[in-house]
Amino acid sequence: MSEELFRDFWWLIFPVFGMVMALVGMLQDNRRIDEIHDRARRDLGGK
Amino acid sequence: MSFTALFYSFWWLIFPIFGMLMGLIGMFQADRRATRTMDLIKSYVDQGKDPPPELLKLAANEMSSGDSSGMGRTPTENRLWTFVTFAALGAGFGAGYWFMRAQEWSFAFAIVAIVMSIMAFGALILLIFGRKS
Repeated sequence: MSEELFRDFWWLIFPVFGMVMALVGMLQDNRRIDEIHDRARRDLGGK
Repeated sequence: MSFTALFYSFWWLIFPIFGMLMGLIGMFQADRRATRTMDLIKSYVDQGKDPPPELLKLAANEMSSGDSSGMGRTPTENRLWTFVTFAALGAGFGAGYWFMRAQEWSFAFAIVAIVMSIMAFGALILLIFGRKS
């Protein structure tokens, strides 16, 4: 059954990969912005 | 009902559920980021210091969220790229549907082509009538 499921839905690999990439991109974007905030807070005097 | 039968019936729900989750997470995070950025800028101003340029750039990006990300250099170029991308996806999936229309599962191509075409139409409307700067 799993083989049949894969045969019917193999193409889902591509949109799922796109979703994973979107998720990874969002997390990386958040980390970059958090770093900017942390640096600004440090420069301000550790508020 | 087994998992397989359930998956066969509702596999397409993956996309709207993922879209809703991403939209919800993105909305909360954008709100948290904007609040933190503005608080930091306010703290700098209160202390009589100039805020770092990267913080100001971040605030400017958050003010025009949606327009600032993309392949173009201006919001108009970004919208143009959004339109081109969705139009290309719509045309590609439309062609896929046309060539595979004899197959039982070809409706999946048609659904994606319709969704992408609607997104392309929306991007075109924003491109024509949206803010120019």
